[in-house]
Amino acid sequence: MLQCIFLLSDSGEVMLEKQLTGHRVDRSICAWFWDQSISQDDSFKSLPVIASPTHYLFQIVRDGITFLACSQVEMPPLMAIEFLCRVADVLSDYLGGLNEDLVKDNFIIVYELLDEMIDNGFPLTTEPSILREMIAPPNLVSKMLSVVTGNASNVSDTLPSGAGSCVPWRPTDPKYSSNEVYVDLVEEMDAIVNRDGELVKCEIYGEVQMNSQLSGFPDLTLSFANPSILEDMRFHPCVRFRPWESHQVLSFVPPDGEFNLMSYRVKKLKNTPVYVKPQITSDSGTCRISVLVGVRSDPGKTIESITLSFQLPHCVSSADLSSNHGTVTILSNKTCTWTIGRIPKDKTPSLSGTLALETGLERLHVFPTFKLGFKIMGIALSGLRIEKLDLQSIPPRLYKGFRAQTRAGEFDVRL
Amino acid sequence: MFNQFSSTAETLSKASAVMLRIGTDAHLYDDPEDVNIAPLLDSKFESEKCEALKRLLALIAQGFDVSNFFPQVVNNVASHSSEVKKLVYLYLLHYAEKRPNEALLSINYFQKDLGDPNPLVRAWALRTMAGIRLHVIAPLALAAVGKCARDPAVYVRKCAANALPKLHDLRLEEHASDIEELVGILLNDHSPGVVGAAAAAFTSICPNNFNLIRRNYKKLCQILPDVEEWGQILLIGTLLRYVVARHGLVRESLMLSIHGLDNNGFCEKDDLVRDLTLDKGDDGNSDSVDSDLVRVVSKCYIEGPDEYLSRSSFPDTVSSVFHSKETTSIAHNEDVKILLQCTSPLLWSNNSAVVLAAAGVQWIMAPLEDVKKIVKPLLFLLRSSTASKYVVLCNILVFAKAVPSLFAPHFENFFIYSSDAYQVKAHKLEMLSLIATTSSISSILREFEDYIKDPDRRFAADTVAAIGLCAKRLPTIPTTCLDGLLALVRQESFAGDLESMDGEAGVLVQAVMSMQTIIERDPLSHEKVIIQLFRSLDSIKVPSARATIIWMVGVYCSLGHIIPRMLATITKYLAWSFKSEASETKLQILNTTAKVLISAEVDDFQMLKRIVVYVLELGECDLSYDVRDRTRFLKKLLSCKLACHEPADDSVAQEKNSAHVVEHVFGRKLKPFSPSAMHDRFYLPGSLSQIVLHAAPGYEPLPKPCSFVFEEQDQLSALDSQRDAAADLDGSQESSETGDEDGSSDYDSESSIGSEFSSNGDERTISNDANDPAAPLIQISEISVSTDQEELRSKRALDLWLDEQPSTSSQTSSALNSNQSSYAKISIGDIGSRVKPKSYSLLEPGNGNGLKVDYGFLSEVATISPLHVCVEVLFENSSEEPIVEVNLEDEEAMKVSDSSEQTLVGKANASYNNVPTIIPMEEISCLEPRQSAKRLIQVRFHHHLLPMRLTLHYNGKKVPVKLRPDLGYLVKPFSMSIEEFLATESRLPGMFEYSRRCSFTDHVKDSRMENGKDKFLSICESITLKVLSNSNLHLVSVDLPVANTLEVATGLRLRFSSKILSSEIPLLITITVEGKCTEVLKLTVKINCEETVFGLNLLNRIANFLVEPSSSTTS
Repeated sequence: MLQCIFLLSDSGEVMLEKQLTGHRVDRSICAWFWDQSISQDDSFKSLPVIASPTHYLFQIVRDGITFLACSQVEMPPLMAIEFLCRVADVLSDYLGGLNEDLVKDNFIIVYELLDEMIDNGFPLTTEPSILREMIAPPNLVSKMLSVVTGNASNVSDTLPSGAGSCVPWRPTDPKYSSNEVYVDLVEEMDAIVNRDGELVKCEIYGEVQMNSQLSGFPDLTLSFANPSILEDMRFHPCVRFRPWESHQVLSFVPPDGEFNLMSYRVKKLKNTPVYVKPQITSDSGTCRISVLVGVRSDPGKTIESITLSFQLPHCVSSADLSSNHGTVTILSNKTCTWTIGRIPKDKTPSLSGTLALETGLERLHVFPTFKLGFKIMGIALSGLRIEKLDLQSIPPRLYKGFRAQTRAGEFDVRL
Repeated sequence: MFNQFSSTAETLSKASAVMLRIGTDAHLYDDPEDVNIAPLLDSKFESEKCEALKRLLALIAQGFDVSNFFPQVVNNVASHSSEVKKLVYLYLLHYAEKRPNEALLSINYFQKDLGDPNPLVRAWALRTMAGIRLHVIAPLALAAVGKCARDPAVYVRKCAANALPKLHDLRLEEHASDIEELVGILLNDHSPGVVGAAAAAFTSICPNNFNLIRRNYKKLCQILPDVEEWGQILLIGTLLRYVVARHGLVRESLMLSIHGLDNNGFCEKDDLVRDLTLDKGDDGNSDSVDSDLVRVVSKCYIEGPDEYLSRSSFPDTVSSVFHSKETTSIAHNEDVKILLQCTSPLLWSNNSAVVLAAAGVQWIMAPLEDVKKIVKPLLFLLRSSTASKYVVLCNILVFAKAVPSLFAPHFENFFIYSSDAYQVKAHKLEMLSLIATTSSISSILREFEDYIKDPDRRFAADTVAAIGLCAKRLPTIPTTCLDGLLALVRQESFAGDLESMDGEAGVLVQAVMSMQTIIERDPLSHEKVIIQLFRSLDSIKVPSARATIIWMVGVYCSLGHIIPRMLATITKYLAWSFKSEASETKLQILNTTAKVLISAEVDDFQMLKRIVVYVLELGECDLSYDVRDRTRFLKKLLSCKLACHEPADDSVAQEKNSAHVVEHVFGRKLKPFSPSAMHDRFYLPGSLSQIVLHAAPGYEPLPKPCSFVFEEQDQLSALDSQRDAAADLDGSQESSETGDEDGSSDYDSESSIGSEFSSNGDERTISNDANDPAAPLIQISEISVSTDQEELRSKRALDLWLDEQPSTSSQTSSALNSNQSSYAKISIGDIGSRVKPKSYSLLEPGNGNGLKVDYGFLSEVATISPLHVCVEVLFENSSEEPIVEVNLEDEEAMKVSDSSEQTLVGKANASYNNVPTIIPMEEISCLEPRQSAKRLIQVRFHHHLLPMRLTLHYNGKKVPVKLRPDLGYLVKPFSMSIEEFLATESRLPGMFEYSRRCSFTDHVKDSRMENGKDKFLSICESITLKVLSNSNLHLVSVDLPVANTLEVATGLRLRFSSKILSSEIPLLITITVEGKCTEVLKLTVKINCEETVFGLNLLNRIANFLVEPSSSTTS
């Protein structure tokens, strides 16, 4: 089981240590870890499980913060990693983001949260809604209160009722004057377009996100019009397996507030909403590059915040890029970002320019990969449709809302 | 122009950042010490206390030691504010172990809180009380856990389950059964939340007590989907282990499908396998199940790879299959069916660890055709976070190695995104090359082409290697691959011109290597490619790529029709370029020209000979040693060839032999090299060991199939055997004293090996007369192979730890096996009487007006408590005046006795933590000149390195003195048999094992003095004497490899065992000797102990005293 959790800033400073068991872990392990990650290249940083001379280390990096957990004995590594991810999620939810200052400023809350989330190296309470009842998230009111009175406890005196019930994700009896439930289909499109311009792979990774503000103990059923297109899915613990197995209906008692009901995957899509046509020619030390971006198949809604980013190869010494629409920025680490926004009606956005190669190099032999970003509100590109959402006992003044959106996930266009 | 705006914006953002920080605890973290914390802690306002505690926590977070505030913080434990309470608990848990006495003060409050009506307060009190980790309060904590395990609130019961491992961690032998009973109660709880935590407790406390599971098995399976995710992970593993132990493996499962229990069964399975392949729409050409590998995998799961691999060197044991008795069928076994049913919906879990654990159960237990259903959930996990992606890929790789057809249709999932981490990319490449089939290879190759142009050149090089692997696996594609690679080589050799791009060299080298592996399979049909490669020599500049091509010249010099004709030109070119080559390439040129010469035709022979002579001459005056050595070697070897005029001219009879040798060295045909699956290590899916590829401490393979048979008698017999073992131990101790018990026991019996001085019941050798040189003190006994291997296994654990190649380690182990299968046991006579403890000076006569005080550690066990050490203090009056009222006292005890707190401490239970740290000696009322007196004190050291401050009273004066602990006496002898020793040792591998080397000289003097004595014996004696006079240990055994000659002491091994006084943790010491008897020996001291810091310190101490020459021990 886990023995200790360290939070490291992006400069390697140990911001926080939380010893979990009697077997104390000296923080010198962090120094060792940081030395290694400096002396070795990036591949060390992306190694989630590391066997150090004295401990096994599990690391995840979120927004520059390294979460490092130590263990000396056999344990499922995914358990440690999942738990660290969960900690990172909860912290960024509590602190409204994650960075060095936020963690340091709210270190007491971080301590209290960690203490509640893990006991003796084994996860204790990880359900966000329960945690929120046990330890109040910092908000403006409590901050002002603490400034004025100098005293504002964020530790709850009473045990959340949900912590012990058979539906541990739900407080027993929340009360709302107006009962609302929102269902969002949030989809991400993963695609690979190879160097020949062929769509090698295109699939949708989607989540059914819910925000439920319902009084009492509601029992919901959600059904899809076309569940057969789902290749694969994962459910929130509240979803009952039996109804899904028999007739593919989601039956559940929802947690209170926002949560992710299920995630799913739809494979083998035939089309992408946006096309990217890059071209490159190189001759005697300079390359001409031109990229066209346009709408391939109109989804019927506006495609927003289109961006295209790519990493210039090391052998490019300088780049001169310009576009007829949007802005182009080149960072010092040779990352180019072309922010297009919406595609105008009258013209096709294009990026063109020249890349100067390092002296002695005739032509480019390695090529960058373009990463496309976009967002389309109001449509789920997978074609998944929600048929209906039923409540077993309908409360007064019930409002049900449905939304959908699709954005680009891992969208690689190779040159 | 926008400067002013941007600066405003900056100030604005700064201002907003300041605004954001208002009301947070930022100032506390930034300057935790800007106010005096102590008065705040004693404040009567909760808010001030709270602030002080926050400041302390900030200091803890930043790594400062603030344990000095402990007493004040403890006082606040009674606070009613929940926040103060929480903060105090956080602080307490961090420091309780450091300040046990003060921590005891808080116990009363915990007891009170445990009766609080608020479940949250009860839970907090329980968590903190169990987390304080003091032996004294363990019984209290256990009682509290017992009470809370029946608490009405689920949350409290859950915390009780979590508290059990904390108590177990304290090693409370006497309470072990109580703890296990509580685990059983909590496992039987009706709330899923409690069951999850109880499953976690079960895995860490008693993972093999299957009786607890048996009682609730069905209920546990049914409750499994409702258990919270973290508990599910461990509960799944527990249920799997139980089913394997109870019923064995499933006959229809993948694990056994290949073993072929009987002929009929085998045919059926074969059909199944084919069905599986057809289902997948595969063309049936590719191997659907790698049966050898599956066998290795399943064996590894059951036995642990280290054990399995070490055994696999004996061919006869490999073929052993599971007995049909040890298997079960899913059709007939309810338990298996339920397990599979209740784990399969968990494949949809949101938690990737749960999915992987459930997939592991299906993989091991499910019928072959059902294993398919783990594929999609596993692939879905690849969409989760980078970190878990990597772990999942590692596990999928193992599945795919055994059954490539499972993942073959899903190859698109392993296509690489530019944002993947390097390790993920590498694993995906390996995966693609594993599962490529004739139908998918074209799309995969097209992807590979893209990857080669990736800016990450290391990744590109890996891709090239993967192409080679694919071409090797699939017979139809090599030509396409070779063409592509050849084009790549040409292109790279241009790009490679540029010095700055070091990554390119890797791609080029890899490309040439891949081509070589492809060509190797069928050189004749790829003749043209070989020729093209030779032609490209001129443009390729990277030394190792050149070396590979030049090596190919030598290997394929007689292939086909065209190459032999090119040879003259190539060798001329090589000779011409020799001077400018890197030494790696030079070596290959030397080899190749020699090979060419040997296979040369008549026409070219003269010319080739001249070239070889020229190259050899160049090589002889090369700067590199290696090249010069190689040249000389070749020159000698080729002397016959160089002397004769015709290639077939072997007329001189005596040279015929050398010509033969030459043929043998160079003319050998290549054997295609196939990496054997036998050396892959497999651990249970989802385990840490599978990721780091060595058995992590605590890793346990699946239990032996059907090892758990539930019968009442079994339990009884287990108890009996325990009692027997205890009796044995007692017996051995007795025999070490009286020396005539166990006379009838044979060589391998536990007691005879375990006893210290008795030697296999031979009365003569036990006699206390150690000066009798004629007594045969070395007995040969065959130690059974199993023990031997266990020893080797622990050794290999270290090897693995050092990242040694698995193949080499297994070779060495088998070599060791054959060499050192028998050991002689050496018995050493009565060492005890010759052991002289060392003495240290406490007070020099110069400083003490003539009073000289020395002290030495005794090996006796202190009477007052196990934590105390007996110290003998020798007072000597070297002055002319009598010294009166001499006494030694604890410096701190005096202070404490003044304060009132003493009474508080005294109130708590009478246990040894409350015993004063020093049991004072009897006062010496008067010490006459030249008189000396001995006194015994019992001391408990606070820390194993820090000296204890004492006050010496004499003549009414007080002198502070420091009593330094001797690490060697902070342990106590722990008698165990050799088997127990090896078993304990094998449980403490990796990071619990550390060794140091040192030299040893004592025996040299010894052997000179007592010439007639056996050399080994004298070495053993002098080492043992040295060790035992400096530390308090138990000698377990002394072994000597029988194969040794008389002069060489290498392999001599002494084993000592002990327990750490303070924590009762066993500590094993092994000293291995290397070198000749009469010279300085090299000793390797190895310690296995869980208490890493103590172990390392003791190791250094032992190494130090072994090195320093002693004069006293020889007398």
